[in-house]
Amino acid sequence: MTFSVLARCPTTGHFGIGVATYSLCVGQYCDGLRSRVGATMTQAFVNQGNNDLALRLLSMGYTAARVMEELAGNDPHHDYRQIAIIDHDGAVAAFTGSKTRGWAGHRTGEGFAAFGNVLAGPEVADAIAAGFLSQPELPLEYRLLRALECGRDAGGQCGGEGHLTERSAVLRVFGDQPYADLDLRVDVHDRAVDELRCCFEAYMPYRDYYRERGRDPVHAMPQEAFVARLRATR
Amino acid sequence: MTYTVIGHCPRTGRVGIGIATFSITVGMYCNGVKSRTGVTISQAFVNQGNNALVLRLLEQGYKPDAVMAQLAANDPDHEYRQIGIIDREGRVAAHTGPKTRGWSGHKVGPGWLACGNGLVGPQVVEAIGDGFMAEPDADLEHRLLMGIEAGRDAGGQGTPQRHKTERSAALVVHSRYTYSDIDLRVDLHEAAIDELRRIWLEYKQYEAFYRERSRNPRDAVPQEVFVARLQPKTAEAVA
Repeated sequence: MTFSVLARCPTTGHFGIGVATYSLCVGQYCDGLRSRVGATMTQAFVNQGNNDLALRLLSMGYTAARVMEELAGNDPHHDYRQIAIIDHDGAVAAFTGSKTRGWAGHRTGEGFAAFGNVLAGPEVADAIAAGFLSQPELPLEYRLLRALECGRDAGGQCGGEGHLTERSAVLRVFGDQPYADLDLRVDVHDRAVDELRCCFEAYMPYRDYYRERGRDPVHAMPQEAFVARLRATR
Repeated sequence: MTYTVIGHCPRTGRVGIGIATFSITVGMYCNGVKSRTGVTISQAFVNQGNNALVLRLLEQGYKPDAVMAQLAANDPDHEYRQIGIIDREGRVAAHTGPKTRGWSGHKVGPGWLACGNGLVGPQVVEAIGDGFMAEPDADLEHRLLMGIEAGRDAGGQGTPQRHKTERSAALVVHSRYTYSDIDLRVDLHEAAIDELRRIWLEYKQYEAFYRERSRNPRDAVPQEVFVARLQPKTAEAVA
């Protein structure tokens, strides 16, 4: 029970992921992004070793499709996993194991994969893809968040007892640095995608300030002064 | 303005970090934890490249003091940074640059480091150290959380006249895998450490279930079923 979008921005080459799920603290599983190398996510019954292995294989020059074969060969429970991989050329490989639960499936397009399990139906995966593609000119993080919101609005997750709310969510983008460009999480919440949007709206005005403060501390204004200025402009 | 404890567990070799700050989404800076390698944090005016560099140097066998010397040589603004480094053997190096703001400083013990800037005073890092050492036999994540809670209770960030709340917090522990053992975050909240404690308590109930479900999916119960079993227990615990 999770729905995700994994993508490479064709304009910038940045990699990003958006995930929402009924499980708690899903962000801890989203360690599969590396600048200029690729992006991957394993979900459903997670094999936590997959992300690191996939990134190492991608950095050696394996294509996304080839990495998927290696993951299959390395895991006796591969049938229980749902996996997406994007290499630095934007080639996509996606896999939904036959033993994942509920309605499970994926949609892939140029440089992206929309995928989920224990969903209300195929319309959720379609909505995630449509949401991601709706405004292709926007920066990657906006497209990823929009995709998650569309997945939520199309019914999201549905278990044996009916609809399952999103209790955790994450939005993460890697640019050219060895660290995340954007990294937002909601770990335990009643409506985690809504809360992720709140965090995103709150964070974005600070983003350049935080970045610049680290790069040029000599000229950085105190955060209190920045916050006061921010409030004054609203 | 941030306060932090990083530690190495001598019993298990696990390494981790507990952190709280006024800034939003501090967890994104906590990428300096790696199994069998060490733990590091750069804060105050953050040099975001430091963590990846530190972990690579530690992997090559550099000791924390030597790594710190490399960071100093690599950064024209080193005196604006606050940095802690612990290697896989528990050796510690700490740096609080003279140009960090407010009261800033660190306290070092065997296998641990408490540090902060923009704090109400030295009592905060003292308290973080005491909190971390209060139950030395407990799991590392518990000790790290106790550390930052003690820092909060000693006044945390701001000045004695004007306290600044914790808006974000994080708790990360690695053991022997290529992925984290514990990785919890609060990105935007009015009392982020309280919320981190709540998330930790909530997550603890699921931790074994999540782990086992991944390793042995064939026998895993659906999460709805697991949650249904959990709830009566929770109600009893509350009653």
